[in-house]
Amino acid sequence: MRQHPDFRSAACAQFEALLEDYVAADLGGARAKSVTEHLAGCAGCREALDEAAAGARLLRAVGPADGPGPAFNRTVMARIYAAEQERTAERATFWQPFVSLGWRFAATAMLALAILITYEAGWGRRLQPNLAVVRPSNVSDLFSPDPERAPANRDEVLMMLAENNHGNN
Amino acid sequence: MSDVPKTMAASAQTLALPGNTGAKQEDWELVRLCQSGTAAAFEELVRRHQQRVFALVGGILRRSQDVEDVAQQVFLKAYLGIRRFDQRAAFSTWLYKIAVNECWDYLRKRKVRPLVYEADLSEEQVSQLDGIVSAHRPPESPSQRAEARQAIERILDTLPEQDRQLLLLKEMEGFSVQELAEMLDLNVNTVKVRLFRARGRIMQAFRRRVKPGGKTGARPATPTERKR
Repeated sequence: MRQHPDFRSAACAQFEALLEDYVAADLGGARAKSVTEHLAGCAGCREALDEAAAGARLLRAVGPADGPGPAFNRTVMARIYAAEQERTAERATFWQPFVSLGWRFAATAMLALAILITYEAGWGRRLQPNLAVVRPSNVSDLFSPDPERAPANRDEVLMMLAENNHGNN
Repeated sequence: MSDVPKTMAASAQTLALPGNTGAKQEDWELVRLCQSGTAAAFEELVRRHQQRVFALVGGILRRSQDVEDVAQQVFLKAYLGIRRFDQRAAFSTWLYKIAVNECWDYLRKRKVRPLVYEADLSEEQVSQLDGIVSAHRPPESPSQRAEARQAIERILDTLPEQDRQLLLLKEMEGFSVQELAEMLDLNVNTVKVRLFRARGRIMQAFRRRVKPGGKTGARPATPTERKR
């Protein structure tokens, strides 16, 4: 237990936090006992404690300041709603060009699709060549022989070749 | 600004919050409702915390005229940021931190220090405060309390800014050491030590004003705003 050379400077550094709890009546058990024992032998801490207790009395005597008026709550909520609306409007403004572009793209795609369907359905079909008409009539059906006319032997094969003029062309 | 939308007024009156069984809902439940888009839940949070936020802002800005505006701004910021609040800390802690930051932003933007009263105390005030300290005689009437409070705030103004804030918020506004530590980003023990020392300092400041014979330089208080 040491004596402080200057009582006003401070209490023992290691006891300051405990003394604060002591002033705030927030100390119990073994810690309270150790502080009480220390105070019994330390005049510096006793004086510092008295000063702190007096300071606490001074400050606690008056209580808290007046709160906000009754309209505070509603004013806050009104500001919040206004800010929310502003934010929504800002968000809409930001995305507007993208939305507009998206609609244009969709319209273009729809138009292209309509043209494609029209083309496929009618107008385009007229331009396509009639395969049945343009199919060459003199194409040999040698490689897809009529089963009824299938040659039965080697002579018949030679005869068919001679009839169709194959071999010379 | 004071006009409240009808839909909001209705929601405030009939606060039919989901999951409300009549018992008082905890802050975290209200926060969760806010995060899912129930504005009425935030209104309840404002109602619960407005007194302390107001006290906190008033304590830091020294009761300037902008206290109400800054306090409203605190709630607005809290509302806009509540979806990002992960509830790892208590809602009140998070809210008070916003309030402290908002106050410092305000002071920085204005480039002024809070209002400082440079006048000495009147003899009446000195004797009143002496009665509180020596005779344990607290002021009785509201007017006496108001006068004592003004005098104490004047003494507080002579202390370093952090001492002043800690004492005012702890002893006059009722914040706990834990709350102060969290909102000012300080260790709990550091807050205790600073509070203890600040109490000694305020008594020193008080005694400096109470000259022997009770003579004091009594003149009307004039708040001044000092440029930083």
